[in-house]
Amino acid sequence: MNDAPPILRVTQPNDIPDAGLDLVADVVVIGSGASGAVMAYELSRDGAKVVVLEAGPYLPSTEFTEHTPTAFETLYQDHGNQTNTTGDLIVLQGKCIGGSTVVNAAACFRTPDQVLEHWRTEHGLENLSPEALAPYFEKVERNLSIHQNEPHEVNYNGRLLLEGAAKLGIPASPATRNVKNCALSGHCLAACRTDRKQSMLVTYLPWASELGATILSGTRAETFEVNGRRITAVNAVATGAEGREKPVRVEAGLVVVAAGPIQTPLLFQKNELANSSGQIGLNFACHPSLAVLGEHASSIYAWVGASITAHAGDVENPLLGGYLIEAAAAGPVSTSSSVDGGVGPDFVDFMQRSKNMQSAVTLIHDHNVGRVYLGDDGQKKIEYDLDDRDFESLRRALRGTARIYFAAGAKRVFLPTTRRTTIESADEIDSVIKSLTNGKHKYRLTSYHPQGTMRMGADPTKSVVAPDGRCHDLDNVYVPDASLFPSSIMVNPQVTVYAMASYIADEIKARG
Amino acid sequence: MKHRLHRRTFTKLSLLSGGALVVPAIGAAPVRASNGFVLSADDRMLIETFAEAMLPTEGTSLKPQSEVPIADNVAHALALLDDPVLEQVRLGFKLFDYGAFLVGFHFKRFVNLSIEQRVDYIHRWEDGIATQRGIVDLLKKLTYLGYWKDLEAARAIGYLGPVSVAGGVPNLGNAPMPPSDPKP
Ligand SMILES: Cc1cc2nc3c(=O)[nH]c(=O)nc-3n(C[C@H](O)[C@H](O)[C@H](O)COP(=O)(O)OP(=O)(O)OC[C@H]3O[C@@H](n4cnc5c(N)ncnc54)[C@H](O)[C@@H]3O)c2cc1C
Repeated sequence: MNDAPPILRVTQPNDIPDAGLDLVADVVVIGSGASGAVMAYELSRDGAKVVVLEAGPYLPSTEFTEHTPTAFETLYQDHGNQTNTTGDLIVLQGKCIGGSTVVNAAACFRTPDQVLEHWRTEHGLENLSPEALAPYFEKVERNLSIHQNEPHEVNYNGRLLLEGAAKLGIPASPATRNVKNCALSGHCLAACRTDRKQSMLVTYLPWASELGATILSGTRAETFEVNGRRITAVNAVATGAEGREKPVRVEAGLVVVAAGPIQTPLLFQKNELANSSGQIGLNFACHPSLAVLGEHASSIYAWVGASITAHAGDVENPLLGGYLIEAAAAGPVSTSSSVDGGVGPDFVDFMQRSKNMQSAVTLIHDHNVGRVYLGDDGQKKIEYDLDDRDFESLRRALRGTARIYFAAGAKRVFLPTTRRTTIESADEIDSVIKSLTNGKHKYRLTSYHPQGTMRMGADPTKSVVAPDGRCHDLDNVYVPDASLFPSSIMVNPQVTVYAMASYIADEIKARG
Repeated sequence: MKHRLHRRTFTKLSLLSGGALVVPAIGAAPVRASNGFVLSADDRMLIETFAEAMLPTEGTSLKPQSEVPIADNVAHALALLDDPVLEQVRLGFKLFDYGAFLVGFHFKRFVNLSIEQRVDYIHRWEDGIATQRGIVDLLKKLTYLGYWKDLEAARAIGYLGPVSVAGGVPNLGNAPMPPSDPKP
């Protein structure tokens, strides 16, 4: 086995002297995920001296274990325990060199035209038409080997979704992913052990590094030094062995805050900066996702094969009640925790039959009803409860999934409620779905796609970030991460983030 | 029988769906418990008696529940939580355990109920107010994680676990830098 770790030069906290570091650069990028990595590469390519600060650790792929619980501990924000204030929604984000791209499921979609049109009419983003963004989509698709799954990359679980949808006339197709010669381990969420997922760890970050960018891991940006409408330096803390903290200061002419949709607004709030609109932290959305299992008479082994193999639903109409169903790998931990199999003998029986379960997750376009802020106790708060309108969309998605499962031959469907709820036949679908009501701690909700807390828009009184990615209130500060989405997009967001970051980098280059 | 608890400011139960709540089993750097957390005897008893009710593995093809260190795994997982969250989790444990005392189970705590009574009690909390639903769901998820993190337990249902190293799948390394991107 070729176990040579992929080459990435990273300054880790233990490499930093106790007295700390004082760096001078053209650009400082906070965060090394989807948006930060693209910005670092694009600006390095333009000749800028770039420093990237990443709060999470550096783990080369040879240290990935394909053991999801271990990955949660080592690669995820709050060790996988980040939740809303109610406690009934897990909000997953990567926290490592490469950010969420290292642990994501690799599904790829362009931003639906309908969403871009909404951004144009409601938020004044005339510049982000499908035509204007097309070259950026093409570029990242090329750079990240994005392609539709080949037939061998669609496992039995995926084929069942395609077959069931075809019988009902619901649009469906094999998934599109950023992978190269996928080894089909099914462990995307535990990070790709063999570098086949084209995450930032094996693409844009090594490319930026090759062009001279300096990348620091375990280094959390905390405060900004400000002079008028400019941030002149970023102060960070590198946390080394035994928790020893070392100061890192980076002076730069341009600041890119790409810390993701939870941490970016918190950084600005903490520094009381760029919030003349009062919108920082507001408009949080997250694509609340639910899993649905369908029991078949024979084995399916949904956990064998690619993590996402196929999808069904009305991808083009997110704002008109569309939903997306993605056939997804589910090991025992997620099988047991995403739907309720019951208690005692019921649960044991359910798990013994888990290899017979068809498995998928649903995605919806949710409204921007949430808020991210620092509480009085200094702790971050993610306020988000399911809006009734979004609950209706979830119901539609659950109904659609159940119909597809029965059409594909399922004999029973398990719903993602906190008390076991099953649908025993296709005739029961409507009555069971109708009986579901919105409420706290009633559903097993997960967000893989937080977004929207630094809204982009043309009107500085209603948005934080201008159409070119620059903060309305600051002259040298850009935000390219998922926090700038003016509304939720329903589809998996990484390609939108990559394309927007590429676009913003070009805006910066054009400004000179 | 009604069994309502007053709604409390029990706001943040960490519902850990995905799985940090597990011992790092396979060669990862151990995560240190920053808060020095140790599971109390009461809490350990609660986890163990809850798991007995949730997972009656005897006579099935599953790995015997008693052979998986569920409570230790849960303890490790709880040690990763921030202190304020951990405090609420422990409060939740207490409410659940002593709640049985209050709602007519002959003045017994949950840990002292028979298996059938425990299952009945779990169902009552599933149908309770949001706080009760949150607490019982947390206990379930802790149990799932404490049990299924064990690879032998997972393999008993046909799950493969890690495959790439065992299968000799080579690393691809970094992708080559794109030649020179044409300007869009
Ligand atoms: C489990 C999971 C599965 C997913 N699956 C898919 C999928 O299949 N398809 C898809 O399109 N999308 C998927 N996503 C979402 C996608 O990966 C994200 O939308 C995207 O990566 C967001 O990019 P970003 O730049 O906004 O943030 P991130 O990629 O999350 O990067 C932010 C980085 O900033 C760092 N940071 C935070 N605060 C600081 C600070 N103060 N100082 C320094 N660094 C800081 C963080 O540690 C993190 O590494 C998934 C996400 C997860 C978590």
